[in-house]
Parts: sequence; C-alpha cells; structure tokens
Amino acid sequence: MQKIVCVTLALAAAAPALAQVPKGYPASYQKTVDEAKKEKKLVIYSSTDQASAQFLLDDFKALYPFVDVEYNDIGTTQLYSRYISEAAAGGKSADFLWSSGMELQVKLATDGYALAYTSPEAKNYAATSKLDNILYGTTMEPGVLVYNKRFVKKPPTTHAEFARVLADSKMNGKVATWDPEKSGIGFTFLHEDTVAVSGAMDLFKALGKSGAGQYSSSGVMMEKVISGEHYFGYNVIGSYALLRAEKVPDIGVAYFRDKTVAFQRPAFISKLAEHPNTAKLFLDYLLSTRGQTVMANKSLIYALRPGIEGPAVPKNVYSKIGGKKNLVVIPVSRDLLKNLDPAVRNDFLNDWRSALKGQ
Amino acid sequence: MTGRSQGRMDAQDLPAKQIRLKPAYWGILLTVVVAVLVLSPLGLLAYQSLLSAPFFAPIKQVSLDAYKYVLTDPAFYRALFNSFVIALGMVVIAVPFGTALAFLVNKTDLPFRKAFELLLLTPTFVSPIILGIGFTIVFGPVGLVSNVFQDVFGRVPWTIYSLPAIAIIAGLLHVPYVYLYVSSTIRNLDASLEEAARISGAGIWTVALNVTIPLVRPSVVYSAMLMLLLGFEIFGLPLVLGDSKGIDVITTYLYRLTGVTGVPAYGPMAVVAVMLILLALVIVGIQRKVLGETGTKYTSVGAKGYRSARFKLGKARWWMVLITALYLLVTVILPVFGVVLRSFVTSWGAGVNLLDVLTLKNYSAIFTLPDLSRGVVNTFIVAAVGGFVAVGVYLTIASGILRSTPNLRRTLDYISGLPRSVPGLIMGLAFLWLFLFFKPIGFLRTTLASLIIAYTIVWLPYGVRLLTATLMQISKDLEEAARMVGASPLKAFQKVTLPLLQSGLLSAWLLMFMQFVREYSTGVYLLTPGTEVLGSLIVSLWATGAVDSIAALSSIQIVIISIVYLIANRLGVKAGE
Repeated sequence: MQKIVCVTLALAAAAPALAQVPKGYPASYQKTVDEAKKEKKLVIYSSTDQASAQFLLDDFKALYPFVDVEYNDIGTTQLYSRYISEAAAGGKSADFLWSSGMELQVKLATDGYALAYTSPEAKNYAATSKLDNILYGTTMEPGVLVYNKRFVKKPPTTHAEFARVLADSKMNGKVATWDPEKSGIGFTFLHEDTVAVSGAMDLFKALGKSGAGQYSSSGVMMEKVISGEHYFGYNVIGSYALLRAEKVPDIGVAYFRDKTVAFQRPAFISKLAEHPNTAKLFLDYLLSTRGQTVMANKSLIYALRPGIEGPAVPKNVYSKIGGKKNLVVIPVSRDLLKNLDPAVRNDFLNDWRSALKGQ
Repeated sequence: MTGRSQGRMDAQDLPAKQIRLKPAYWGILLTVVVAVLVLSPLGLLAYQSLLSAPFFAPIKQVSLDAYKYVLTDPAFYRALFNSFVIALGMVVIAVPFGTALAFLVNKTDLPFRKAFELLLLTPTFVSPIILGIGFTIVFGPVGLVSNVFQDVFGRVPWTIYSLPAIAIIAGLLHVPYVYLYVSSTIRNLDASLEEAARISGAGIWTVALNVTIPLVRPSVVYSAMLMLLLGFEIFGLPLVLGDSKGIDVITTYLYRLTGVTGVPAYGPMAVVAVMLILLALVIVGIQRKVLGETGTKYTSVGAKGYRSARFKLGKARWWMVLITALYLLVTVILPVFGVVLRSFVTSWGAGVNLLDVLTLKNYSAIFTLPDLSRGVVNTFIVAAVGGFVAVGVYLTIASGILRSTPNLRRTLDYISGLPRSVPGLIMGLAFLWLFLFFKPIGFLRTTLASLIIAYTIVWLPYGVRLLTATLMQISKDLEEAARMVGASPLKAFQKVTLPLLQSGLLSAWLLMFMQFVREYSTGVYLLTPGTEVLGSLIVSLWATGAVDSIAALSSIQIVIISIVYLIANRLGVKAGE
C-alpha cells in the first residue's frame, strides 16, 4: 500500500515536471500543452511498422503521460484511401498522418487536408525537408543494396560496378528489385534514380539482362535474399534492411558511393483533427533531438536531424558513400506531384519496361 | 431415384398448395433482406465504376473512362487469362481428386482414413499467403526438398514460379473444399441403392461410378462452380508465387492499377469488380443449367438411411494409401512444416545449417506488439460469434432456396453466389464506405460487428452452398408429415428438421470458424485499434518484410485452429457431416 502511495506521489510529482514546455520553445507553448491535456488523446495513421514505432510512442508517453495514443499501422495506399474517405464522410479520422508514401502525403497536404503549423523545431531542418508550414520530413531513409553474405563477399559500391557484376551469367535470376508498376515506393526510388544517378538506365538494362525478379513489397524481396534465392536486393528501404541485418547475420547492407537516393517520411497534422494540440506535441516530438535520437538508436529508422548520434543517422551514411555530396535526398516539395502526373508516370514506366526487356 | 422423387412430388401436391402460400411471404422478405445485404456493397462498386472521381468527391461526372481504361489495358487481359487458367486448374485437379478422396474415406476400408481426414482439412484453415511461403521454403529454388534434388541430380527439375505451377498448387490446395462438399453428401446417402447394385454383382468401381457419384452429382457440380468462383478470387498464392515473374491475376492486377496512377484508382478498381460480378453471374447461371431446378430432385434420404458395410479395396488399398499420403505430404505436411520451421530460425536456404540459426526470438518479437493479444482474442470472438451468426444466416437462405417458389429461388441462388467473386480488398473498401457514408450503421464501424457482417456477407457463396448441401439430405417428407398433423412451417422446421440438422450445423459452424480465423484481405480496411484480427495483422507485417514474425504468428494461428478442430472432433463433430 505504502508503495502504491509512493508511486502515485512520484507520478503526480513527475507529471507536471515532464509536461513542461521543452527547452528552447516559446513560453506560449504552455498553452498547447494545457490544451493537449484536455484533449487527452491522439489518433495516428502511419505506415511505419508498429514494432519500430512503439519505441517512439513509449517515449512520447513518458514525456506526456496524459496522452492516450491510438496507433494505426496501415499501408500507404490504404492509409490514403481510408483518410480521404473518412474526411469526406465527416467521420472520425486521424489527427496525425505519417507515411512513407511521399507523393501521397504531398498530395493530401496540398489538397488542403493539412493544418498549418510552424513547429518550433522547424528551424533545425533544411528547406528541402519542409513544405511551407504544412508538411514536414521526419526521416532520411536511403535505398540500399541488400546482399547475402554467404554468396557475396565484396558488394559493388557504384551503380556501374553493380551493372558489371550483373553481366556475369552466374548472376542470372539472382537479383531482386521493385516492380515500379505495382509499388508506389518502388516507383519513387527507381524514378529518382533516373534523375539523380548517371548511368541508371544502363543498370536497368543490366537488371533486365540478368532476369531480375520484380517485387511489389520489400517483404518477399528481403526473405528471398535471406534464403539465397536472390543474392542482391536493389533499392530496398534502408531502415527495414538495417533492422533485418541486426537480426540476421547473413544479411549485408551496402551503399552506393556514386549516388545514393533517400526518401523522407513526411508527416502532417490533419486539419480535421479532433486533437490538434496533441498532434502538435507529437510532431514537435518527432522532430526534436529526443525523438530523433530514439529513431536513430531504437526504431532504427534513419534520423533526419543533423547532429544526432546512433547507428541510423545521416552521418553514418555519408561516411559510407564518400560524403554528403553523394546523397540525394528527395525534397518534400510540390515537385513530387509531378510523379502523379499520368504522362510523367507513363514515360518512366515505358522507359523502365523497355530497359528491362532489353529493347 | 427419379421415379421416387417424382412420386413424392405428386403426393405432395395437394397439401402443398395450401401450404406454399404462406412461405411466399417470408420468402419475399428473405430475398429482399439478402438482396440489400449483398447488393449494397456491390451496387456501390457498380456506381463508382461509372464515375470520373471518388463517389464522395464534390466534383465528379458520370463517365465510361474507367471502363475504357481497363478494357483497353493489355495487362488486364493477361491477368484475366491467368486467372482463368488457375480457375480451370482448380476445377480439373480439385474436383476429381476431392470427389475420389471423399469416396475413399467415407465408403471404403482405406487404412488410416481418420488421420487422413484430419490432415486433409489443414489447407482450408491456413492463410494462402502462409501456404505460399511454405511452398517457397520447401519447393522454391533453394527450398528444403529442392536442395536435396540439387545435391543428388545436380538440378531442380521444377519451378513453382510459373503459371502452370501456381494453377497446380491452387488445385491441390482446394481439394479439401471439394472433399468437404462431396463427403457431406456421401455420408448421408441411402446405402440401399449401393447395396442393391452390389447384390446384383457390380464391382466396387462400377458402384462408385454408376451409383454413388451420380447420387452426389449436385454437390460435385456445386463444388466445381465454387472452384471457378474461388479461382478468380484467389489472391495470396499468386501474390507470393507469381510476384517476381510478374504473373498477375485479376486480384493482383489491382496493385498495378494503383501503381500506374500513383493514387488509388477507384474507378478502374470498381470496373474490375463489376467484371468479376458479371463473371460470377455467368458461373451461377451455368450451375443452374447443369443442375436444373435444385431442391426436390436430389434429396437422398432422411430417416430411412442406414449404413452399409464399407467397400473392400483389396490389394488396391495400399496404392490408395500411398497416393493419398503423397498428396498430403506435398500439399499439407511439408509446407506447414516449412512455415513452422521458418518461425524457429533466423535464416535458411542453400548453405545454411539450420541448427546454427535456431531461435525463439521470432516469438518473443511478436509479443512486443501491443495489439497481438487483443488480436488473438478478437480473432476468437469474430470466428466463434461470427461463425454462429453466419451459419444462422446461411441456414435461413439455404432453406429459402430449397423451400420457396422457383422465382425467389432463382433470385436467391444468383444473389448469394456473388459476394466472393469480388476480391476481398475491394469488398473491404466497399464495406468501409458503407459504414462511413450510411450513417445509421456508422456506429458499428469501430466494433467487431463490422468484421462479422463483412465476413458473413463475403463468405455467403461458400456457406450457402455448404448448408444447401446439408439441408438437401434431409428429406422434406418428415417436415411435411409434421405439417400435415398441424404444425406451422416454423414449428415443423424447429421440431423436425433442425434436430436432424444438429451435427451438420455444428460442422458448418466449425468450418466457418476456421474460415473466419484465416480471412485476411476483407478486414484490412475495417481495422481500428480494438478490432485487430490475426489475418489482417499478418497483412500489415507483410509490407515491411517481417516474414519471421509472420511465420510465428501463423504458427500460433495454426495451433489455435488445430486445437479447436481436435476438440470439436472429440466432441463428435465431423467436418463433413
């Protein structure tokens, strides 16, 4: 009994201390915290694996114990469909949307679904990670080359070298990559390759000649690299690869030194949010040093903010690819809407198909 | 047979005229209710297929663009063709094999038939995604069995990533469905007909081919049509096995639709659904043509049935055991073993000593998921309660089909054949829309009731056929006898037919329980915190590639169903009765 009293007292004492305005934030932030206390709840729709996100949710809860977080782990397409349907029906929906489908997030935010909010953390981020004050990039996740260490001793480090490796007839059917016709994130990665990587088309042709398997989810791709059915998985999302490599010693993660493409996982607060103030707290938390540190060390989703320490941070990627100059981070901007233009999509997909078929 | 039922029809005529008037009312009511349940999601999809934008968008026009798009897309026809090949493979493989097995297990002295029957049902309650993974682990390019062949012969003489392979595997995996339908009828056959044939000197195979099989013909036809329907709806297996080579079927073609436009293309998706609905109408039409007016014609026997001695297979019995065992080994034991094995290792494939990579971490990892325990409980509730609700609904519809006027019967037949023809993902989306935009039922969305309703409607074609087959064995003679002595239709049904149905209903409940545990795609859009179910949790893990967690979850799922199944079996519930 005494113990319970102690714990209760400790909690009571801790709660207000924890729920204070974070350092460096304006004093008016107290109002947001107070309002959030009344809201008590936060509904998140996210494509981030719950197992990864849980670390962030737990830490956020420690910071603001009065918040009850409802986390919905859903695929990018379903997330989009569900949100716009709920918004149109005027039903209950998400307060906060966090998804790796960059184009879809930009579309939602610019279609007027996002609440304008200037985060106190925003100043710590580059202009390419923000779209006005409605959409914020939160991560920097590179596309990597996953390989099976049982079969590959020295992975290639440039796209051209990779293409040469694939020319060997022993590599026939040994590579996996996305099917950009079936996967949104696959499209984003491969399309950006053609923009940022010189010789991307040559690599695509090499992929075609070697009979690369094309997949619609990173799930099968990674599983097949683990089993050795494929030796390489090209453009696999770096965060998932890192998480996997930690558990499976056979899995290696390699980066391209000529150019590596990375996407950001954009987040926004819904204009229709029932709990907008709590959503603000969560956005600021994700962008804060504290949140980014949890991402880099526990969730193993690559942090975006400069100066964070841990295994999944930009610094580590830079050192592997020969400097920041070789990293192409897809900006959070209206330009991404072009990727949804049927003409742009068809042009790329036609190029892709003809490269893969060797025509 | 024909003469007998003809005689009964005549005898029935007099009282039937007075009696039939009343059931017409509830027949109409029933038809209307079923039509509303089934046609509201399907009608919404049909409406969406004619619009230029989402139906809820403020600006939209009626347009045929979506039809133009889909009908001029070569990828659509490729997918349609592939689906057709798979559906055909299922009919050609599953129907004869399932029928033969039903005969062997129920009518002959096949050794180990009890054990065979238990194992046989496994594919019906393991999610096809999981079985696909299982097949890859065992028969894939670096699979356990493939590696043995590689070592001995220097090459693997097969591939499982081709259209014919997927069709064959799909066929093998659906054998149990046919088995269930056919054996439920075989068990209740009037054995005197077979006896008569045997006494007249007919051999076992002659009896099987000329007496038994013709007697169970309706259930064979039903199951063939179900195979066609399920063949076009199949999703998990081609998703896993056809992905790398770009072998699309109609359901995976939907991914391509979204991938090509970048945003969900509701119009074209709805068009695909409409096409599949039309196809289902055709299939039900064929079924009706082949069977004629179902109902009275094929009633085998109610109270008079008695069981004959089993056929002696003689020397052939060991060949039959061998073939059945081989089938079970390839289709059930090895793939399930593969999945369970996968759940205990971190990696596998050529050059891996499995002993080095053994782990329990996959299990501890899934228990860190906060929704998992809730998912397990919810799955139980949806399966148990939902299964109960579903059986009640299907029983009502099935007796409506068998006992109402020909017009209503036809309508019910067609309507109840439709829902499973639309891919689960689209059906799920349609249900989400209904719960969102039809306010009176909106409050159900965040409860398990939404899943139960959706599952019940989606599995209508399967369940109604199942219960029709069950009901058809109960001769109407008994019920009518009760009516003659003054019982109301409801009372006659309650007091006479229902008790006779008891074990059949328990079995139907068990089957629905297993289907609902494994169902996955329909629930994806209906998940909210608090309504997670295992099947849909697996789908969300699939995207990030946590196959080890998926394997662990599936193993748990398999264990749950096996326990329930074994308990039910102990209690005397036979899945096929």
